[in-house]
Amino acid sequence: MRQGFYSGGWTYTLLVAPILILIVIFFYIPVGLAFFWSFFLERPFGGGSDFVGFQNYARVLSDPEFWSAMRRTLVFMVLAPGLAIGISLILALAADRGLRLSSAARNIIIWPKAVAGASIGVVFVFIFDPFLGVFAPLNEAFPGVWNPRTDGNDAFATILVAQIWNGIPFNFIILLSGLQAIPDTLTKAAAMDGAGPWRRIRDIQLPLLTPQLFLTFVLEFVGTIVEAFGLIDTMTQGGPGGATTLLIYKIYVDGFKAYDLSGAATQTALLILFVGIMVLLQFRLEKHVKYER
Amino acid sequence: MIERTRTVNVVATGIMIAGILFILAPIVIAFLTATLSYEEFVSGGGIRLRVSDHFWENFAHVLFETRLPAQLWNSVVISLLVAFIKCAFAFTATFALVFYKSRLNTVIFAITIVTVMLPLELIVITTYQVVANVLMPINWLLGWTGLDALIERLTGSRPYLEYSLLDSYIGVAAPIATSSTSVFIYRQFFMSLPKDLPRAATMDGAGPIRFMIDILLPLSWTPLVATFMFWFIGGWTAYLWPLIAASTPDAQPAVVGLARLANTDPDRIPDVPMLMAGALFVSFIPVLLIGLMQRQIVRGLNLSEK
Repeated sequence: MRQGFYSGGWTYTLLVAPILILIVIFFYIPVGLAFFWSFFLERPFGGGSDFVGFQNYARVLSDPEFWSAMRRTLVFMVLAPGLAIGISLILALAADRGLRLSSAARNIIIWPKAVAGASIGVVFVFIFDPFLGVFAPLNEAFPGVWNPRTDGNDAFATILVAQIWNGIPFNFIILLSGLQAIPDTLTKAAAMDGAGPWRRIRDIQLPLLTPQLFLTFVLEFVGTIVEAFGLIDTMTQGGPGGATTLLIYKIYVDGFKAYDLSGAATQTALLILFVGIMVLLQFRLEKHVKYER
Repeated sequence: MIERTRTVNVVATGIMIAGILFILAPIVIAFLTATLSYEEFVSGGGIRLRVSDHFWENFAHVLFETRLPAQLWNSVVISLLVAFIKCAFAFTATFALVFYKSRLNTVIFAITIVTVMLPLELIVITTYQVVANVLMPINWLLGWTGLDALIERLTGSRPYLEYSLLDSYIGVAAPIATSSTSVFIYRQFFMSLPKDLPRAATMDGAGPIRFMIDILLPLSWTPLVATFMFWFIGGWTAYLWPLIAASTPDAQPAVVGLARLANTDPDRIPDVPMLMAGALFVSFIPVLLIGLMQRQIVRGLNLSEK
């Protein structure tokens, strides 16, 4: 870190105190409490806690519902960022060509960023409704082809599409900014040497875009774990038959509907560890990403 | 471009059209449906791509017969609070981290950056406990130091402090504002400024606080405005935490209010046209903001460089 210029204990303390107090109370204490409750059991009628060691962990880890929620979370974590970033990349490469439509695309494609997941859910649940939505004619022709209310895969797909709709804007903007920062001279020189557009994408644009691609994956991985909540809560409530119960939704249900504080806290602690490992892995990977241009 | 690339341009235009259509389709469907009356909607059997003239009726229903207008105001206050806390706290702290000599710099930077890795939604269960009684840490302190026993002996009752921030604006906003991404962004910006800036200010007789307010603040206008708008939108679109922290309709922001409104009797066809009008109503402020200000936001967040 660069050496600063000023010195002085009092003003320094006053300047950093607000943010430290805020994050200690509303971030570090909750994180600590999650680990605390994962080793303790709340007494049934309130007032105090009993230390139970790893019993909570044993209970959660032997619960098949936890593992199926974890598996769904993993599938979702691979599919949603992969598709959202892939589509954003194609769109960004197209918009980067500076065509007449580019500025319109730039402006419109960012809009979903400003729409809350829960609002999207309210609209998409209607769009995908088996009898009122866009696929209603399909259902009239082939009854029962599409029904997210009863078919788990259909329901999972609706959440996925809504998540991608919500996830495109930010990835698109990051990737487009990255593409536009690539010096024009490089592309021109390559074109002079006879490299066609596809060749330039593969050998110049994509390699130089690695930092932005990395950034989008880092943000998306953690983002999708939590952002799907608003969609699930408004579109499927975790159903049908638990097919869309991702871990974040299960924790909410366990904690606030079933009042199982220790169980929810234990799953929270496991999810924190999981995210921590993911972030560490990503930063190990980052060492292989070139940043110089 | 220096080459003839008609086919590629046609493909690129096609891709952009497809992308724009995918993004606009739900918005257009929501808008068209919001123009139908409930009877038209039910008898028409759902989605029909036609405009009717009942938009203002549905809109009036949202305005006068739901709580969404009051909840929209809650959203405005909560989002402003989130944006202000995120910008102001991070600004002063990052100023200290970059422009002060201190051994604590690295530690404090690390402490703030960890908040970026773990989103609030992961820890809502225990955040709820803390916000339900923000004085809980003081109770622990009293317990650990043995002061509570002392006070019990003196006054006859064991002290237990309790203060709940649930259902309050600050209680909803403060946990959302802990994610300190701003520190990252401001730090990068401050490091790009000339190193001798504070030295020059000192020679002109300005102390550190004067330097921060009169020189650094105006210089940082671009990233500050961009992050402020971005966090405003972030506060507006938050769902899980406000859903938990604000249990009464009077305290809930508009997004939560809309979701509660949609959660109705499953045996009856819901009033979808009214819900679509509601969805447009709770979304228009942030969408307008991002539509009109996207250039400033993108430039200020400095996304082209990591």
